[in-house]
Amino acid sequence: MQAMFSAWVQYLPQLLRGVGVTLELTGLSLVVAVVFGFILALSRLSHIRGLNLLATWYVEIIRAIPVLILLFTAYYSLGQLGIVLSAMQAAVVTLGGFYATQYGEIFRGAILSIDRGQTEAAAALGLPSVAIMRRVILPQAFFAILPPATNQLSNLIKDTSLVFTISLADLMYQTYSALSLNFLPMDMLLLAGIIYFIFYLVIAKLLGRWELNVQQSRS
Amino acid sequence: MSSKVVVSAKHVTKRFGSQVVFEDVTLDVHKKEVVAIIGPSGAGKSTFIRCVNRLHPFDEGTLEVLGHTLTGGGHSPSREILQDIRTRVGMVFQTFNLFPHLSVLNNIILAPMEVKKIHRQQAARQAMELLALVGLEHKAEMFPRRLSGGEQQRVAICRALAMDPEIMLFDEPTSMLDPELVGEVLAAIRRLAQQGMTMLLVTHEMQFAKEVADTVIIMADHGIVEKGPAAKVLDAPATERARVFLRRILKPTEVAAEAAAPARGRF
Repeated sequence: MQAMFSAWVQYLPQLLRGVGVTLELTGLSLVVAVVFGFILALSRLSHIRGLNLLATWYVEIIRAIPVLILLFTAYYSLGQLGIVLSAMQAAVVTLGGFYATQYGEIFRGAILSIDRGQTEAAAALGLPSVAIMRRVILPQAFFAILPPATNQLSNLIKDTSLVFTISLADLMYQTYSALSLNFLPMDMLLLAGIIYFIFYLVIAKLLGRWELNVQQSRS
Repeated sequence: MSSKVVVSAKHVTKRFGSQVVFEDVTLDVHKKEVVAIIGPSGAGKSTFIRCVNRLHPFDEGTLEVLGHTLTGGGHSPSREILQDIRTRVGMVFQTFNLFPHLSVLNNIILAPMEVKKIHRQQAARQAMELLALVGLEHKAEMFPRRLSGGEQQRVAICRALAMDPEIMLFDEPTSMLDPELVGEVLAAIRRLAQQGMTMLLVTHEMQFAKEVADTVIIMADHGIVEKGPAAKVLDAPATERARVFLRRILKPTEVAAEAAAPARGRF
């Protein structure tokens, strides 16, 4: 036990360097996923047939493929086509592009879950469709989005660990390089697991509180 | 009635797929006229008034609303025409459809601010005046879910009136209410009728229809079966179909007894 603690103290700084990369990657991927996901959701809800079809196929195909294949495709295969991405760029494109399908479906489901009467009432008042979306539908959909969105965020954080395979120096990469030098896999993996768990706790707590605030402001 | 015609339906037909909702509906509504539409469910009453503000498209015929002509069969009116109609025609729904994420006040001022670009303070002042008329000014800051059905429907009426409409459509405004809450909503509608608002009212409240409506229309079997002054249509209907419908509505216990009678002998 004593030995494990001293190993943790010794290697914590190295792992924390990886934490910075993991957080950066998570943040950037989340932004891409949310923005692109919202576009996908609106496209799938639109009556423009081409747009609708394109978004539907994108979602159905991308979410069926393992993230690791997508990651290798972005990092190695695109290079064959002359599109050279840095490890960070490839990781953000992959995770953002993959989680956009998850967030897109969450957004779409939430928008569809709003009662038709809401759209009708707003339309009957003369509100144009953009205003109906912005002032009536989305504020209500937001409520239904928070719990599943939190879930997907914790999945996203865990999936960032895949980027160690393309040598992006995230938490997993630092853990792996530490344990391959010190031969203390148990100590290092346990420490990394604890750090990932802390991420999860903090996010669950923050979003849980936010959700509660939203709920209370509406009663 | 010789005043201006504000809604004029000519041979309007509406289908959902191959199923006919109503056919060949022809009807004029004059300024300040109160028209009550009654009839059995499934007759297309609600669908018809939803065609007036184009919440539903229709398939054949023409519908003139406040100087704009809507046509059937896939022709969509321009965005400007649609918006002009909808801002000048208010609607109250069976299920209230208040916006649950907005306070009572914000429900009412949303459209005046978004569509008419009225300043918030002015919109709020007008909203409070409307709420005071229905006795709900003390509920302005509350959220809809805290209100009773009758209060929600009165707020919904205020929300529609905040756009200062020329015509009001009521789609079975009291059907979802507990019986003891119906009166307060009818009172609000009655006052509106007395002020000379042009109204199309789908309702099952026969007594109320007789009292406030100038004209009563009975829709059944996919069309208008009877149309005329309220007292005449309700007390002395000319057609057999109207008589059958009215008897079922006004004397349900007798009808039930008759329906049960032939079966009695068998047991």
